[in-house]
This record gives sequence, C-alpha cells and structure tokens, in this order.
Amino acid sequence: MAGEWVQEVLALARRWFIMLRRERLNLVFSLAQPAIWLLFFGAGMGRAIDTRVVGTADYLSFVLPGIIAFTVIGNGVSSAMPLLFDKEDGYLEKLMAMPISRSSVILSRFLYQTVLLAGQVLLVLAVAFAMGVRLAAGPAGFVVLMLTVALLTLAVTAAFLALAYAVPGHGTFFAITGFASLPVLFISNAFVPFDAMPPWMAAIARVNPLSYAIGSMRILVLEGWTSELPVMLGVLAGSAVLLLACGTYEFRRHTGGRVG
Amino acid sequence: MTPLVEATALTRAFDSMTAVDHLDLTIDRGEVFGLLGPNGAGKTTTIRMLATLLRPTSGTARVCGFDVTEEPTAVRRRIGYVMQQTFQSGRYLLTGREAVEIEAALYHVPRRTVRARAAEVLELVGLTPHADRLVMTYSGGMKKRLELACGLLHRPEVLFLDEPSLGLDVQSRHAMWDHVRALRDGGVTVLLATNYLDEADRICDRLTIIDHGRAVTTGTPAALKRAVGGDVLLVSTAERERLMQIVSPAPWAIRVAASDTVVHVYVADASGALPALMRLALEAGIPLERLSYTQPTLDDVFLLHTGRELREAA
Repeated sequence: MAGEWVQEVLALARRWFIMLRRERLNLVFSLAQPAIWLLFFGAGMGRAIDTRVVGTADYLSFVLPGIIAFTVIGNGVSSAMPLLFDKEDGYLEKLMAMPISRSSVILSRFLYQTVLLAGQVLLVLAVAFAMGVRLAAGPAGFVVLMLTVALLTLAVTAAFLALAYAVPGHGTFFAITGFASLPVLFISNAFVPFDAMPPWMAAIARVNPLSYAIGSMRILVLEGWTSELPVMLGVLAGSAVLLLACGTYEFRRHTGGRVG
Repeated sequence: MTPLVEATALTRAFDSMTAVDHLDLTIDRGEVFGLLGPNGAGKTTTIRMLATLLRPTSGTARVCGFDVTEEPTAVRRRIGYVMQQTFQSGRYLLTGREAVEIEAALYHVPRRTVRARAAEVLELVGLTPHADRLVMTYSGGMKKRLELACGLLHRPEVLFLDEPSLGLDVQSRHAMWDHVRALRDGGVTVLLATNYLDEADRICDRLTIIDHGRAVTTGTPAALKRAVGGDVLLVSTAERERLMQIVSPAPWAIRVAASDTVVHVYVADASGALPALMRLALEAGIPLERLSYTQPTLDDVFLLHTGRELREAA
C-alpha cells in the first residue's frame, strides 16, 4: 500500500537526518567542502590554467560542474557506509523481519543523499554566484542543473550501495572505494576537456557516466540550451537506471535465501 | 483450537551441516514455549525460519495460520522478533524514544498514535526515565529491554525471543523474566530460545530440548524432570567407571549416567539410597570425594536424553 510505503521511507530517512543533526561537524564540513574547493580551484588553479586548453577564459565556470561531481563522488563512501554497517551489525536482518517493502531501505538513503547534496550544491552555487559566475541557461537552467545533480546522486549512490552489498566486509569496501574514487573523477572531463586528453584517456572518459553529468552541467553554465544537452542527460539517466539495477540486484542477492 | 505455531519436519541445511533436522513444534496460543539447547543446537536457525528470514530446506511451518514461505508478509505483520544481539549501527546516535518511534512507523502504527504507542512500550519495559538518552549510553540490560519494547510495538500475536537474558546481570535477568511473564498474562504467545536451564525452568510453560538440530524431548519442565526420577545422587570420585559398574545393578538405582566429573544416580528416594550407595562404595574400596543429592534439574533431563550435560555441550 502506498501510504505504508511512504511511512516506511520517511521513518528510515528520519534516522539518517537525526544522525546528521547529532553530528554537527559532519554537517558543517560536508556543506562547506565544495565551496572551499571552488575557492581553491577558482582563485589558485585558475591562474595556472591555459585558457586555450579549457576553451573558455572563465575557468571558474568551467570547473564548477567538476567540483559538483567531485562532491557527489566524495559523498559516495559516506552514502553507503551506514547501510554497510547495518549489514554487518545484523540490523539489516532485523529490518528484513519487519513487514516493510525491501525497496524502502535503499530509497530512504537516496532521499537523504539527494537532500544533503542539494544543500551542498546550493551553497557552492551561491559562492560561485558571489564570485561572478552566471548560468548561461538562466533560472530554468538552474532547475535542470539541480535535476542533473539528483540523477548523478542516484547513479553514484546506487554504485556505492551495490559495492557495499557485494563485498564480504567493510575492509574490501574501503579498499576498493579508496582505490577507485579519485581515478573515476580524474578520468572524466571534470578538470580537463576531452580534446586536451591523450586519446586513450579521452576514450575512457567518454564512457565514464560522470562525464555526461559534468557535460550537462557545463552546457547549462557556459552555453545555455544546446541540442547536445538532451543527449547528455539521456546518457546520464540511462547510466543511473543501469547502476540502480546493479544496486537492486546486489541488495536482493545479499538478502537472498530469505523469503519474499 | 489450531496451534499458533506449527512446524512439521522443519529442516535447514547449510552446505554440509544440517542445522535443524526434521523438527516438529506445536505452540499453543497464550503459552511461553521454550527451545532449550546448547549453543549451535539450531535454536536461532529455527527462529529465523519461523520469522521468514530463512527458507527451510524442507518441511513446513505455519505461524498464526500462515505458511512462512507462502505468505511471509502476513507472518511478519503478526510476529515480533527480538534478536539475540543488540545493535550498534542500528541505534547509532538515536535516543531510545527515537529508535522506538522509527520502528513503530516501520510496523505501520498509525501516524497519529506513533508517539503514544512508543511511550507506552517504553513504559512497559521501564525505560521511560531514560527514553531521551542516546542508546549508545545504555547498559546491556537497558539495550535488551529496548529491543523487547521494539518487538511489542505492533501488538504481535507471537513474540520470538532469542536468548533474551544473554549477558545480563542477575537483576536484569529477573526483570526480563517479569516482563515475559507479564506479556504472557496479557495474552501474548512467546517462543523463547535459551541455553540457560534456570530460565527455561522458571518461565516456560512447555519446552522442547533441542540438540544437533533435533528435538530431543518435549513437555512441561515439571513433567520432564519427573520422568528422570525422584532424586539424583551426585557422586564425585576418581573411579567413576568402577562406581558405575557396582551401582548399576542395585535395585534402587533407576539409571546411572556420568558427566565429565560427576556420576549421576537416579533414584526414587534419596534418603534410602544414600546409605546404600555409601555401603557399596566402601565394600568395593572406592574412595568418594563428594556425595550430595538434589531434585532433578533440566540438566538431568538433557543428560538423560543426550548423554552429555548441557553445561558442557556448548
């Protein structure tokens, strides 16, 4: 029943928000991090960058989507961590004995991550605005940009959840995420455009879903509404669906052997 | 009246190990039913199957009239499951009240009554004064009581309690037993898994002794103990084998069994058997280190049926 399902998702999400509220420093650092990065990249790195390579004189606008992607990836580990601990602690098992929909557990985390990310992105956008960045796509572009962030959050959180349920223990989880998080970011167009990369790197970057989220946001910030935007968003949405399917599969597999 | 929990030839195998082996259980409405056995006997596996968390390899189980594999959701709505462990991650940074309210919503307690119901169960387990403290700061006994409270939120017809007093001090154990009795008096059926003899003896109306996944015997604690005999003589000696040889043929010895350290001699009446046993030992030249007698306990019941003492079996 829909009413019961909403009640479950909200109750589980309440848990995540209470935890966040009790960890004020976690909240402060999470919110401030992307804004700090933007300052660093904008004020420092921007001066070391050849504007002919990035294709625009406005490096701050160029790097803003990269910073947002950096933030989403950076939140990946913490997005899956409580569910990983629930799994090891046996609390997941307790949840499974309750008359709740299996999907509520994962959805509550998506809801939480999306709200947290929205807060972080709004803050970094405010800082960017103060530093003179304007969205080429205007106010409607802002809405689409936030939707892009939500899609990216869904994709990244799903990938990390899939890993959390797939690994035998948290050691493996942290080893793999520590190994893979930054390369995934660096082999994308977050800080360097495709054209400036060596061919092998560009080839990998072009199949990295992150590139399409960054590409979409970069179009909204630098160019406005182009015909390329729906294609990019389409690829991002497709990747999100695929990763969500992986996450659901691993969750089912982990809770398998159980009934229903 | 149909039984509230009914398992028939319930079996679960993990790889090469059969954790539960053709177990039959019949639990009637309103009783506290015990599963008594050493660690690893299959108690938790049995409960996990009844709670729809584990698919039986073979056999069937019905809980509150619903098949656990066919209608798991209907079963989950009617059961409360208090697991053996308490939770670090599951209660991280939550107060007792918050934890209980969240679970009330997960059991679909109507929104407007969540607060009241949470307060009610917290009161029931005596946690009202500590409800707004973080669960991380609770003692072991308080954490167990919190779990019990969570198991009661949706007024389950049957409550599965897996080792409810594991790791508790004496005072907390007695408090837990009082809660269980109060629940039974309130009409809740309880299935309690334990490896504590005194716990099973004191609060179970009926129990099944389980060992290596098999049901060894079932009955009320009093009937099980009666079946062992009137009294038990406990004899400590270095020459257990010889003592058993000379005592076994005696007409007053109903049965003789030995654990690692003590020979148990089951007799109808200790007052006549004690001097008789001493005389036999003296004539055979067997030195006795200690000699006492007691009423049979559930440990004797376990020894009778398995050849081991429950205390050593774990």
